[in-house]
Amino acid sequence: MKEFLLELAKLTVEKGKGLGYDDIVAKVVNTDEAMVKVANSQLTVAQSWRIIKLELYLAKDRRIVLIETPIKDKKDVSQVLSNIGNYIKSVKESEMYAPLPEPSGKPLDELIDPKVIDSMYQSPEAAAEMVSAAHSEGAEKTAGTLTLAVERKALATSAGAEFYEEGTSVEAYLRAFHRDNSGHWAYGSRVLDLNALREVGRKAAYYAKLSTNVVDVPPGRYDAVLSPLVVGNLMDLVANTASAFAVLAGFSMFMKFKRGDLVASEKFSLIDDPLEKVLPGSTGFDDEGIATKTKPIIKEGRFENLLHNSKTAAVMKTESTGNAGIIMPQPWNVIIPGGDYSEEEMIKEIKNGLLVVNNWYTRLQNYVEGIFSTVTRDAVYRISNGEIVGVVRRLRIADTFPNLLKNIAGLSKNLYDVKWWEVRIPSRIPYILVKNINFTKPTV
Amino acid sequence: MYEDILYYAIDYGLSQGAAYVEARYHKNRGSEVVIRNGAVVGAGVMSKEGVGVRVIYDGALAFSSTTDLTREGVRRAVDKAISLARSSKPLIKWEHALSEERVGKAKYEVVIKENFEDVPLEDKIKIMVGLWSELPKVLKEAKLVSLFEAYIESIEEKTLVTSDGAHVVSRIPRIFYEANIVLSQSQRGTLQRFIEFGGSGGYEVFRSWRIEDQLREEIRSIEPVLLKGVEPPKEPIDVVVGSEVVGLIVHESAGHPMEADRIWGREAAQAGESYVKPEMLGRERIGNENATVIDDPAVPGSYGFYLYDDEGVPARPRYIYYKGLINEPLHNRWSAAVFGTKSNAAARAMDFASEPLVRMANTYLEPGDRTFEELIEDIELGIYVKSYMEWNIDDIRWGQRYVGLESYMIRKGELAEPVLYPALEFTTKSFYSSIVAKGKELRFYTGTCGKGEPAQGVPVWFGGPDVRLSKMRVGVAPR
Repeated sequence: MKEFLLELAKLTVEKGKGLGYDDIVAKVVNTDEAMVKVANSQLTVAQSWRIIKLELYLAKDRRIVLIETPIKDKKDVSQVLSNIGNYIKSVKESEMYAPLPEPSGKPLDELIDPKVIDSMYQSPEAAAEMVSAAHSEGAEKTAGTLTLAVERKALATSAGAEFYEEGTSVEAYLRAFHRDNSGHWAYGSRVLDLNALREVGRKAAYYAKLSTNVVDVPPGRYDAVLSPLVVGNLMDLVANTASAFAVLAGFSMFMKFKRGDLVASEKFSLIDDPLEKVLPGSTGFDDEGIATKTKPIIKEGRFENLLHNSKTAAVMKTESTGNAGIIMPQPWNVIIPGGDYSEEEMIKEIKNGLLVVNNWYTRLQNYVEGIFSTVTRDAVYRISNGEIVGVVRRLRIADTFPNLLKNIAGLSKNLYDVKWWEVRIPSRIPYILVKNINFTKPTV
Repeated sequence: MYEDILYYAIDYGLSQGAAYVEARYHKNRGSEVVIRNGAVVGAGVMSKEGVGVRVIYDGALAFSSTTDLTREGVRRAVDKAISLARSSKPLIKWEHALSEERVGKAKYEVVIKENFEDVPLEDKIKIMVGLWSELPKVLKEAKLVSLFEAYIESIEEKTLVTSDGAHVVSRIPRIFYEANIVLSQSQRGTLQRFIEFGGSGGYEVFRSWRIEDQLREEIRSIEPVLLKGVEPPKEPIDVVVGSEVVGLIVHESAGHPMEADRIWGREAAQAGESYVKPEMLGRERIGNENATVIDDPAVPGSYGFYLYDDEGVPARPRYIYYKGLINEPLHNRWSAAVFGTKSNAAARAMDFASEPLVRMANTYLEPGDRTFEELIEDIELGIYVKSYMEWNIDDIRWGQRYVGLESYMIRKGELAEPVLYPALEFTTKSFYSSIVAKGKELRFYTGTCGKGEPAQGVPVWFGGPDVRLSKMRVGVAPR
């Protein structure tokens, strides 16, 4: 497959050059993927996908066109290119055009776990392990998915890049129900580890039954422990809005900040780490063929880096950070370094507060100001004088990102590799203790 | 299109022992132009084309897809689906089935009046580029600091064949425009508005939107909110909710909780469950006489338009809530079999790589008989929330929040000063029980509804009239 994909990518660049394009990037991606979906503790659907597609960037006289199309063989390359000739002439010159950079990428090896490939079409059996673990821990019913995938990508550019990389990925998450409560946990990795899957089941069940004593909590400001699922969801958003394109498009709180500004608690750092091989976003080259690198977005509370490709870097007069996306730079893997708390110590620290297990539906009133709300799902536990004293029905966190980031008071020592429906960027994250965060709930 | 390989997939799947086989050729192609602050960023051409195969084998439901449009390619897809179904035994408690239906043999398309390609791209770009210099002319103090625009034209073509006789061919062109607007003023900070337009048809649909006029009016209206918006009163007040917000509310709190697969729990780990339980259907009330919510795929020109769903079932209007009664959930053939009923044609798949799920199409609150003036004329002190930015709802579709963008105080029956970020936070029951009057004008709004794993975004409209609610407490978003 490596030779086939690389050959298609190189041929596309070669033919594009022949047609007089100034810049060409051809990325040919093959994905084989299988997913098992469970609800009410039983399989609802098993799915699989096999996709080969071409992502093509063409520039001519500073005019830019991106093409995404399925591709079978060499004949398709000529077809795609012949269809685009007249179209690109009618596109105006791009304000963001920049010549393609010299390639510097270094493909990563050892991103494959053979167990993932071998187990792909027997994945219901692995999912059953996760489900069984939750039931052994006391869950009454479960829902979730297990996805196994292998992605192979070849990249060729008219600046001379010819790179190939392949990697496996595992995404597992489970929601466990116990009486009227539920808990949730997730796992994201390049490695299929049955113990990790069982741990997903166990932790989901654990959080479903920490307390059955339903208590009422009035809306207001509370100290809170946010689980890695919650932190992952919220910090994915922060990482995505650190894309320089988000800043240029008016979708980022980083529009208001400059490098070195204190934007978070000094205990907090947010890192984009494409070189952490175990996390499935890892890669040694970006979509322009530039070497990826580890860089802080926020370092010890201070804003350090936007994420750039060569186009956004040219607009903002800086250098690419190796995060292309041809148009939109993107984070690869999010890592938040841990602190010195155990999870138990975090709860002990809170006199009057909440433990938030999971959240979803984060939406913003204003990206520039970072005004947002997000809804808790699964159990929220009431903490009083360092003890969990009850379970609270659905609350909403309604605050601002600048406030949330500045009020981080502690991070757990343990980090968790997480990826699920509401955490799309592979993330390695701790629990976070945050002070004085605003919670709301329906007034009628 | 590709009917030979679709029928081959059906025959091959049946020959391998599948109880049901469905093969869908599905092509989405389109092009996009992205504009930032009056300058072109770039253009895009997208094509997704392949076949999705679904089988029921030995009681298990399995789906597989391929971009390889050959006999060998679809055979491999069928084999993979059957292989996955076989290995599903440890997780199967009862056998999956689809409801029996009178499926269609039909061919239909949305007729285009003005072909996309008959209008030069330069003309389309010119309209969008010009807004950056035109729009600030209506501003008094604030600055337009960001205007991000995207224009997309697309065509979705499908041929669906099933082993129980469906054969449906369709072609639906769509057009879409979105803009992100950021206004800024040195003392008051920023205000953001994100706005979308979408419909089915050709370029004539885009012309009908008159986006230059709509965005100009939008900016003229939201500037005073930034410059002079006040906090809403703390005591309970009358609330008038604009049709844009009403449309979103009915999508979130009527359409979603009435998706039958969600009621059963199929989406429990993703988009969530539902406050609606099977025994409540047709029996329990969620609101008053004014609470009638309809979902109709066949609204002409709509973004969610279709005449047959992706399981071959003919579309019809669904009365989700009827005069306050929890009435008719949305079904595909899988959920209909689970509930022992018939599908009402809610199966939709985003693309060839997606299984058909229970989805909304065009969801709206049935309008009433009042003019806007009549809705507010006897309000001594109230608030009118015309548009929104932030919203969300919990995963059983009960507690929800909508933060107003263009909003005004109502004083002595008339609109008064603008209000900054009023937050409406209520339960589904309290909203549908609080509707005291409805406007007579039905307006629709555009969205892309997300559901499923992998997440599928499908085009929808949602709408309604302006609605007056009884008194409630209004919060405010933190700044």
